[in-house]
Amino acid sequence: MSDHDPTAPLVEVRGLRKAFGEREVLRGVDLTAGEGTATVLLGPSGSGKTTVLRSLNVLETPDAGRVRIADAEIDFDAPPRDRSTRRREVAALRSRSGMVFQSHHLFPHKTVLGNLLEGPVQVQGRAVDEATADARRLLEQVGLTGREDAYPAQLSGGQQQRVGIARALALQPQVVLLDEPTSALDPELVSEVLAVIRDLAAAGWTMLVVTHEVRFARDVADQVLFLDEGVIAERGGAEVLTDPQHDRTKQFLRRVLDVT
Amino acid sequence: MSPPRRPAASAPVRRLLALALLLPALLATALLGLAGGSAAASTTSPLPTASQSDAPAGRTVVRVGTEGTYAPFTFTDPDTGELTGYDIDVVRAVAERAGWRLEFAETTFDAIFAALDSGRVDVIANQVTINPERQARYLFSTPYTYSRGVIVTAADDDSITSLADLEGKTTAQSETSNWAQVARDAGARVESVEGFAQAAELLVQGRVDAIVNDNIAVLDYLASTGDDDVKIAGNAGDEVGEQAFVFRQDDPQLQQQADAALASMTGDGTLADISEKYFGADVSIPDGGEVTELEGSDTRDTTEVVADTAWPMLRGLLTGTVPLTVVSFVVGMALALVAALARMSGNPLLRLPAQFYISIIRGTPLLVQLFIVFFGLPQVGIRIPSFTAACIALSLNVGGYAAEIIRGSILSVPRGQFEAATTIGMSYSQSMRRIVLPQAARIAVPPLGNTLLSLVKDTSLASTILVTELFREAQIAAAPSGQFLPLYLFAGLYYWVVCFLVSVAQRRLEHRLERYAT
Repeated sequence: MSDHDPTAPLVEVRGLRKAFGEREVLRGVDLTAGEGTATVLLGPSGSGKTTVLRSLNVLETPDAGRVRIADAEIDFDAPPRDRSTRRREVAALRSRSGMVFQSHHLFPHKTVLGNLLEGPVQVQGRAVDEATADARRLLEQVGLTGREDAYPAQLSGGQQQRVGIARALALQPQVVLLDEPTSALDPELVSEVLAVIRDLAAAGWTMLVVTHEVRFARDVADQVLFLDEGVIAERGGAEVLTDPQHDRTKQFLRRVLDVT
Repeated sequence: MSPPRRPAASAPVRRLLALALLLPALLATALLGLAGGSAAASTTSPLPTASQSDAPAGRTVVRVGTEGTYAPFTFTDPDTGELTGYDIDVVRAVAERAGWRLEFAETTFDAIFAALDSGRVDVIANQVTINPERQARYLFSTPYTYSRGVIVTAADDDSITSLADLEGKTTAQSETSNWAQVARDAGARVESVEGFAQAAELLVQGRVDAIVNDNIAVLDYLASTGDDDVKIAGNAGDEVGEQAFVFRQDDPQLQQQADAALASMTGDGTLADISEKYFGADVSIPDGGEVTELEGSDTRDTTEVVADTAWPMLRGLLTGTVPLTVVSFVVGMALALVAALARMSGNPLLRLPAQFYISIIRGTPLLVQLFIVFFGLPQVGIRIPSFTAACIALSLNVGGYAAEIIRGSILSVPRGQFEAATTIGMSYSQSMRRIVLPQAARIAVPPLGNTLLSLVKDTSLASTILVTELFREAQIAAAPSGQFLPLYLFAGLYYWVVCFLVSVAQRRLEHRLERYAT
């Protein structure tokens, strides 16, 4: 980890493979993402895009490949020296990212503020006063000032997801991972969440987003990766969305745009 | 995208388990201290322990096993609430001469010999008749009672007048008593009961044809209850039975001390005085006169009995039932948490023992578990005081049942909660403690409330292993008075009140946890 090159991309994935039983979900995925960029992962369901995201924080343990965020790297090709070393490596990698889930997974027994403080105070050991001040600022950014003491169940779906985003940011991560952040929302609530994510992109957060929102992707994406059957079938800038080269990409975009 | 799999317990689990294992150990230590302390606090304690430190120097602590429900020999004085009776007075007089310091342990007749065998008591003072089978296994003192048996039947039954008529009939007896043997030898079928009063009640209710028992006990019962539904139908043979104190064979010193004391009491008339006081005749010698009529050791009416028993039952509730429940529930919950986490572990060395434990507890009766801990373990050298034994058995039982409740509750917390905790950097034990378990707790409250309610009521089983709790107090009061219905109803009322309070508390807790319900 000490030999980390500061000019290298912030996120780097090489030769990522993962099978669930007989089914090979990832069949060798490579990607990089530069600091401050927004990367959108697209693809039909089952193409492996969520598994890529979940491999970045080891919610899924890859079968092979290397994953690096900043100076934290795990080589899944090399067998771990021992369990505690691997545990430390996983913890280090996880601490570089924050995750936003499709169905938010807010802690229902904690208030909005409690959800935001859990990581910084319990895990990072930051002072409560300081973490609270930061959390309030984040809630202001996502437009939820005044709801600090509400429980998640008392919020709308869009508000819940905005808390989910704030919770990920509260960890001060180097990368924000968003796994279909609007897919579980009622259509009229989608735009308020997308607006918040747009703000993040504009503010220079490094993001990896799995989404089906093609128009939103067009607006924010610095890089578009189209996954199909466990490999990246097409990659490029936002132009991939307007001028796809690959047949599968064309097919997919047609279907998605028809639906929306 | 991902298969529905649970976070398997790995290395961090073991650390959490180690932590959780410490908790019950600490509680058990505290518990043992508690039991020892409470036993030492009172000389008439129902919880005798072998290590009494506050005995006056030079005095041997001798633990006496007795029914406490066999008037007029051993019973609770309705006026004072103290243990009294002919056998009790005699053993007290012996103790005075022999330099013993007595502790009484009350239990059913059928459990008395087991208590002697397992070293929980040192002597039995309960009208034990000398017979060859018992002589082969135990030491007897010289007899202090000479009595004969009688046959009791329903008042309108003229078919039984002698032992010969018992052939093919049904009698109610304490299973291991001499009278049960007499009835069996006469060809009668024996229904096992917990004491004389219960036997008499079965006869009155017409469930059995006869009972065979001591003349004096029967006369006392008739005088106490004023019962004219039953009568003495005849003598149970012509033999005079001899009753004496019983000791273990490895305890000849106590026997010799008792014999010396009894001899001096016969010599100075003390024994005759005690007998005259209770029976109006001297039964301590073979031909001291016939006992023909007794006043009855308990002639109170229903209202008086219930009023007199209200406080002892409340005391049994507060010093027996409630502490048993609280200690067993707390220890049981700690056990349950450990067992649930171990049961969910990926490591078979943790999972299999947990599965085995849960299976054994759920697959055997609580009563059997209690008896194994209390009567069984002493045979392999593990001797545990009765209150502690009850706590151990009840805790293990609660732990087995609650483990499955806790496991189910943990499994019903959405997997995403664990993942979210993981992504904010929490370790396994942190996510369990701060995220998963608090949510599981809310799910577990209603079923655990049920477990607690069952436990409150199951503590009544501890009455069978010398723990004086609420139900035991009701039995003690019911035995001499025969007031089964009002006393057991009253005991039931006490249990109901406690359970009602528990369920109110449960509802409030549920309501409080409801505020974040999704």
